[in-house]
Amino acid sequence: MTKKTGILDLISRKLAPFMLLFGFYLLAYGHASPGGGFQGGVVISSGVILLVVAQGVDAAEKLFPFKMLSKLEAAAFTAFLAAGFAGIALGMGFLGNPMTHVYASAVPRVGMALVLNLIIGIEVGSGISLICLRLFRGA
Amino acid sequence: MRAKRKHLLTAVETVLLICTGFFLFQVLESNQGGAPSPVREYITENGSRETGALNLVTSIYLGYRAFDTLGETMVLMIAVTGVLFFLVDPGKEGEDDEENRHP
Repeated sequence: MTKKTGILDLISRKLAPFMLLFGFYLLAYGHASPGGGFQGGVVISSGVILLVVAQGVDAAEKLFPFKMLSKLEAAAFTAFLAAGFAGIALGMGFLGNPMTHVYASAVPRVGMALVLNLIIGIEVGSGISLICLRLFRGA
Repeated sequence: MRAKRKHLLTAVETVLLICTGFFLFQVLESNQGGAPSPVREYITENGSRETGALNLVTSIYLGYRAFDTLGETMVLMIAVTGVLFFLVDPGKEGEDDEENRHP
């Protein structure tokens, strides 16, 4: 990381937010278009990896602290379990779709898929970012 | 010797490429629209209505097979945990036990 050109610095700074945004777009529209939790999570973590490669591990870890990412990972998994038990609470079995009780809009049942996509995306993104941060820190 | 091996490698690669192309062509030719099955018909008819997801892949892996996805995320979390366990940062963690620290 001794020789860093201005091009690399500028482009990585400008591009990384858009990569994160595109990852969240894939999460939010995974139920209607190609995309979904796993792919969106990997795109998000690729934004983090771009920051790590171009700006250094310390700068990336200032933006995405290690502790926060690991807590996010655990929280996302707990949220997945909670979403599963929400089905039981409404009497539909584990991971049942609670949105079948809601008759608010034209396509009411998509809420469950949206929530699960967001949860999975956060989990995958934070997990892969954690691994890469640790690997780059060791190198 | 080395040139011979290179020729052999090239021949093997060519045969592999031709075989791949042949079988891929056959699959693409014979399976226009995929093989019919009752499950497929059911999902294409009712998948979007029952789960709300327009994307049928999503309607399968978050609707009909959500439990499988839960196991997948579990596998991912366990993998991350294992990698982080084996990649202990020697420089930064001050509260590590003494023998792990390199001066």
